[in-house]
Amino acid sequence: MAKTIKLTAMDGTPVEFVDEVIGSGAMKDVYFSPDKSYVVGFFRKPQDANAKDRLQNIVGKYREKIFGQVGGDYWENLFCWPTRLVEWEGRLGVVCPAYQKHFFFGKQSKFAGKEKEGKWFASAKLRNKFLTPEEKGTWLSHIHMCLQIARAVRRLHAAGLAHSDLSYKNVLVDPQSGRAAVIDCDGLVVPGKYPPDVVGTPDFIAPEVLQTRALPIGDPNKKLPSIQTDRHALAVLIYMYLLNRHPLRGGKVHDLDTGRDEELSMGEKALFVEHPTDKSNRPKVKNLAPSELPQGDVEKRPYTLCGPYLKELFDRAFIDGLHDPSKRPTADEWEAALVKTTDLIQPCQNPDCEAHWFVFDNSTKPKCPFCGKEYHGQLPVLNLYYSPAKGKFLPENYRLMVYDKQSLYMWHANRFVTPNERTRPEDKKPVGDFHFHNGRWILINRRLPDMWDVTEQPKRQIRVGEYVELTDGRKILLSSADGGRLIVVQLVNN
Amino acid sequence: MRRLPVYLLIDTSGSMRGEPIESVKVGLEAMLASLRQEPYALESVNLSIITYDGEVKQVLPLTPLDELQMPQITTPDSGPTHTGQALKLLCERVDREVRRSTPDQKGDWMPLLFIMTDGKPSDIQLYNEMIPEVKRRNFAGIVACAAGMNAKTEPLKALTDDVYSLDTFDSTSFKQFFKWVSDTIQTGNRSVGATDDLVLPPPPAEVNVVC
Repeated sequence: MAKTIKLTAMDGTPVEFVDEVIGSGAMKDVYFSPDKSYVVGFFRKPQDANAKDRLQNIVGKYREKIFGQVGGDYWENLFCWPTRLVEWEGRLGVVCPAYQKHFFFGKQSKFAGKEKEGKWFASAKLRNKFLTPEEKGTWLSHIHMCLQIARAVRRLHAAGLAHSDLSYKNVLVDPQSGRAAVIDCDGLVVPGKYPPDVVGTPDFIAPEVLQTRALPIGDPNKKLPSIQTDRHALAVLIYMYLLNRHPLRGGKVHDLDTGRDEELSMGEKALFVEHPTDKSNRPKVKNLAPSELPQGDVEKRPYTLCGPYLKELFDRAFIDGLHDPSKRPTADEWEAALVKTTDLIQPCQNPDCEAHWFVFDNSTKPKCPFCGKEYHGQLPVLNLYYSPAKGKFLPENYRLMVYDKQSLYMWHANRFVTPNERTRPEDKKPVGDFHFHNGRWILINRRLPDMWDVTEQPKRQIRVGEYVELTDGRKILLSSADGGRLIVVQLVNN
Repeated sequence: MRRLPVYLLIDTSGSMRGEPIESVKVGLEAMLASLRQEPYALESVNLSIITYDGEVKQVLPLTPLDELQMPQITTPDSGPTHTGQALKLLCERVDREVRRSTPDQKGDWMPLLFIMTDGKPSDIQLYNEMIPEVKRRNFAGIVACAAGMNAKTEPLKALTDDVYSLDTFDSTSFKQFFKWVSDTIQTGNRSVGATDDLVLPPPPAEVNVVC
């Protein structure tokens, strides 16, 4: 039995851990507390005053800023944030909450007890060969994971912090429940104030950082991790979770020397595998292993399957902003696009489809891009309009696809309500639901006090508990409050 | 997808017979079991094992981690340690098995080499001739392990700067050594420092850094 070490943290609180390393990262050795509710990670190398100061800020000022406010506990699930600092035998340690249970493979799994590192779910080969269907979750649960990651990164950036090492190793995910948490927050950087100690993890390092890596520290041209490089890593993460391939790892050989080729293809010469005009980096299907297919084939699984909102952001991240960091989409934009994308999603009618869900492709013959199953039946599409002035409604490039037993939320009914950590508990409850009932599509009003069918004059109120049928061209005002939206129904027949 | 080829050269000369070789096997098994739980390794690692005593054999051709079965590893009663021959076979196999980049296709990652011995090369002339040949194969890393009191580190130092010595032969120290091999194999997945190149993880306490 290893012995328990008892120490006092720098804030004066007691810290205990069992003197047995449970894991070693690039920088630290990690130990469990006796009750396993937290871990202590000790840096192997001495940390200088600057690093200590940076860590003090992370466990102190910045932690309070994020977690100490109203709604701060929302973030407890999205981050594994260091809480205290401690010193032991001359080594500096950080105390962190233990990862939540759902971030470990369960007892039934081949990988029982291992952390659900994102890599498992982002790699085609690992998904296709080693994971069970339950472990894989659905495509919708991956959208939810990405949403939580984007939200966590947005919060960091809003506080002026950059993570500096976002990668599937530093983000734990649970596709079964659609949850994700950003870990390894002790490397956070405040741009311009604290020099980062890492440049990132291969696959996620921004091109400009890799390109200037050989320059000595202090050279003004050397690019170091920042909020802008986090944005690159975030885009890569989302692309990989949704498409299971790397956006820059294609077929183009830049140099016969592997090391040099890597440097160029991830750095100076980085090129999006799905670039619309320069197709030179398209993955060559004949060179891919069977286990990498079909995900590795960009013709079969183009990124457009992620829907129009995400496609636009991928274009900005990997075409316009790949070598021009200021053009990269922000975490905030990813969050908004992911939320809007969930409104375009449809259940696949093929019970054996691995993805279970897909984004409506805006065509008259919708088809699941994952299994190829065509959608049969009537498909209601709701086009959302907002009112800039009383009595006037304008389209806002926002659609809601309806499926049986789907819910309508306050953020659909009113454009001033956004689903995020600030959403009030009463706004998190559905305000209505959709059903395919006796051969007709209906919307039942559950909680909207002034919902009106305004298709014809005189307009007709739909009271709480009443329903309205969704027919082509029907206009439904969800709320006449400021920001209230109007729905125009479009029926797609197949 | 690039593969990461990993070559293990294991001394099976007579002096390894008994507990030493059994400890190596236990360590290897434990390493395979742990690598098979690691997503990065499962995705890319391909492993080959070459054993050498008076005879040199590739007991395991380069095989994906998830598909390989541990080969039989046996030791003769006595006899020489043909380390030079082993390096020669290694070069042949690397030339044949590791995919080089072509203008049309990306090649494998640069291979890793781990070599373990409890003695010294009996064919020292060939050994010395093979060293530049090995270096020409562009290994991403070469790690040598001298196990036991009779292991000579000098010849290994000619091959690589990363020479480690294990004082004892028990399965715990080998397990630790292979745990560290497995960590090294995974460095590609790790965070990269702001300046330095990929560095090896620190060796376990039981391993002495020789140079």
